[in-house]
Amino acid sequence: MTQVTSKVCVVGDFAVGKTSVVERFVTNQFSEKYLSTVGVKIDTKEIDFPALGVSHKLVIWDVAGSDEFGHTEFAYLRGASGYIYVADGTRPSTLAAIEHLHSQITGQYGQTPFVLLVNKRDLSHDWSVSDEYLDAITRAYRNVYLTSAKTGDDVEDAITRLAELIIDNDMQGA
Amino acid sequence: MNDLDQLKELLFGAEKQALDTIAERVERREVRTVDVADILPEAIHQSHQKDAELVESLTQPVGECLQRAFRDDPQTYGDALYPVMGPAIRKSIMHALRTFTQQINEAVEHSVSPKGLRWRWQATRAGVPFGEYVLQKTMRYRVEQAYLISRENGLLVGHVHHEASKIKDSDAVSAMFTAIQDFVKESFSPDRTGRLESADMGDFTLWAVHGPHALLVCVIRGVPPKSLRADLSAILERIHFRYGDAIREYKGDTSSVPEVDVELERCLRFEAREESDKTSKSLPLPIIVLLLVLALGLAFLGVRNWTYSQQLEDLDTALAATPGIYVTDISRDGNAFEVRGLKDPLATDVIEVAKGVDIPAERIDVTMQPFQSLQPEMLAARAAQMFGQSESTRFDVSGTNLVATGDAPWAWQQRLRSEFRNLAGIETLDTSGLTASDRQRFADQSTASNQRKFYFRRGVDFVEGNDDELTNYGVELSALQEEAVTFGYSMSVTVNASTDSSGDAVLNAALADRRAVVAADILRTAGVDALVISQPVKLSGNDQPREDISQRYVQVELQLQSLPEQP
Repeated sequence: MTQVTSKVCVVGDFAVGKTSVVERFVTNQFSEKYLSTVGVKIDTKEIDFPALGVSHKLVIWDVAGSDEFGHTEFAYLRGASGYIYVADGTRPSTLAAIEHLHSQITGQYGQTPFVLLVNKRDLSHDWSVSDEYLDAITRAYRNVYLTSAKTGDDVEDAITRLAELIIDNDMQGA
Repeated sequence: MNDLDQLKELLFGAEKQALDTIAERVERREVRTVDVADILPEAIHQSHQKDAELVESLTQPVGECLQRAFRDDPQTYGDALYPVMGPAIRKSIMHALRTFTQQINEAVEHSVSPKGLRWRWQATRAGVPFGEYVLQKTMRYRVEQAYLISRENGLLVGHVHHEASKIKDSDAVSAMFTAIQDFVKESFSPDRTGRLESADMGDFTLWAVHGPHALLVCVIRGVPPKSLRADLSAILERIHFRYGDAIREYKGDTSSVPEVDVELERCLRFEAREESDKTSKSLPLPIIVLLLVLALGLAFLGVRNWTYSQQLEDLDTALAATPGIYVTDISRDGNAFEVRGLKDPLATDVIEVAKGVDIPAERIDVTMQPFQSLQPEMLAARAAQMFGQSESTRFDVSGTNLVATGDAPWAWQQRLRSEFRNLAGIETLDTSGLTASDRQRFADQSTASNQRKFYFRRGVDFVEGNDDELTNYGVELSALQEEAVTFGYSMSVTVNASTDSSGDAVLNAALADRRAVVAADILRTAGVDALVISQPVKLSGNDQPREDISQRYVQVELQLQSLPEQP
């Protein structure tokens, strides 16, 4: 199989579960303990696409949470082939932050494949994002997933989808 | 000119003139030369722009031309190259000096550190100048890993490493290095143009060489020389030359940079004697000294232990050979010995036996119970103790027989004979080898006093003074008789009387008896016992009676007889 490696950046507001999403995806584990990420944390994970004959290795940059990037954070995003936006379904403001970050990233680096994970789906009692807002977001961003890093719901699907989008994008570029 | 020629002239006059001109230019060499010279620079320029064929075509002939020209006229070309060679040589020397300065700096840096002091000592031991030794040490390094990282996205373009190196996820390492690089640049470089070029981690040094599109990160074990950076830069430049565009567009597809690892492998060739030094590296001196001391210590302990064991064996043998000692238990604890058993009081002391095998008294603990040994040596010693022993006598024991030899006083011998049975283990006594010189002297003295004569004037009247002499002689004999008993003798005294031949023989015999009785009385009075009066001496050989005063005497004879020995 062809070996392809891509840089993927995980971005989102503070405490939306970015590191938990990556940990669930990479190690299939979840920790209740909250540890704020300082700077950036890097993991890798390979996804095989037998139909395409491609083994896609994602180098995942888990960037420290922020609602607006500074120079350092932007430097981390340079050259990313895709983005995993993570928002917190119990805090609608984190979705607004994603909109802002997305516009920042697009303005800086142009259109790049991404998926949006509205996380903490398991906290149904605290869920605060309205369906209307969610529909509007889904229409705007298309690849939107309601995920739970705690239960693992849709996390792998979302990131696997991003890997596919990156391959498609590269093929179009080629 | 015929009609046909005229017709040709009319139809093709101008063309013919042109053809003639062309023919003339082709045929005339000087014209052709001018033409070629006119277009040659442009033709060379265009050909060089088009492909490398011109270069390949010219390489060999131009090279040969230059070789010939240099050989034929070196002075001219030397002069021409002088302006070029000077700066080139200066640049080369400066590069060498920079490298040398760097090494000297490292040498000075290490000269006062603990490592430097250790190196100084090792250099002294090896007989090598310190500077040279430090240079040798500081030249040791090896490029363990090389990462080629895209500057655009931090993705790993290529990675090579020595087989022994421990490798983690190289993609993650590449990304993390890029992240750190970004962090450092954003945090500490005000204009964001700074670059992380090196990092130290224990025995490893991380060197990053930056190119336009990629970054070459080498993990180096040891202390690399600064010149290595130039070598690594050359490799990175070569990689950019071959893969520059591919790296600029790199999106993680390794097939877009074929054989880039082959280029990276060149980085791993940079090393300096590390491998050979490792294989030939001997143990550090302190370890050698420690091992030597341990070996000597073990050898000393072994020899000492063997010596002590040998001493124990010698002591056991010596005690077994010592009469009057019976060992029940002998043991050793380190260098101390312990002996238990039985000992005859007359036997040699165990401590003295130990000293004989070089074991001092303070290293031996003796617990001996007393007993009486029946060994011959002990019996002889006990006899000597009981009876006393002079230098001229000795005792030996054979079985139960005590053998005494030598010269000893008669009284001592008598005591021995009467008391030897008091010795346990002795049943018989052999004194055949004993002599008694005091007894012999007494016998000789008695002989000297024998057969004294005392004369008579007439009848039983002594010649004047002879009676007193007889009295004194009697006192002497009495003493001899008493002494004779102490030497095992009995002494008898016989008085013989004599007369001359004048007168009647019967009367003379009676006179002789009377003279004997008178003499015997005097002797008895003086204390002499065992007196015997013998028959008168009958004179013979003289038929004519006559008076002869020399025949008128009494003669005293002593007889010594040995008393029977006590059973």
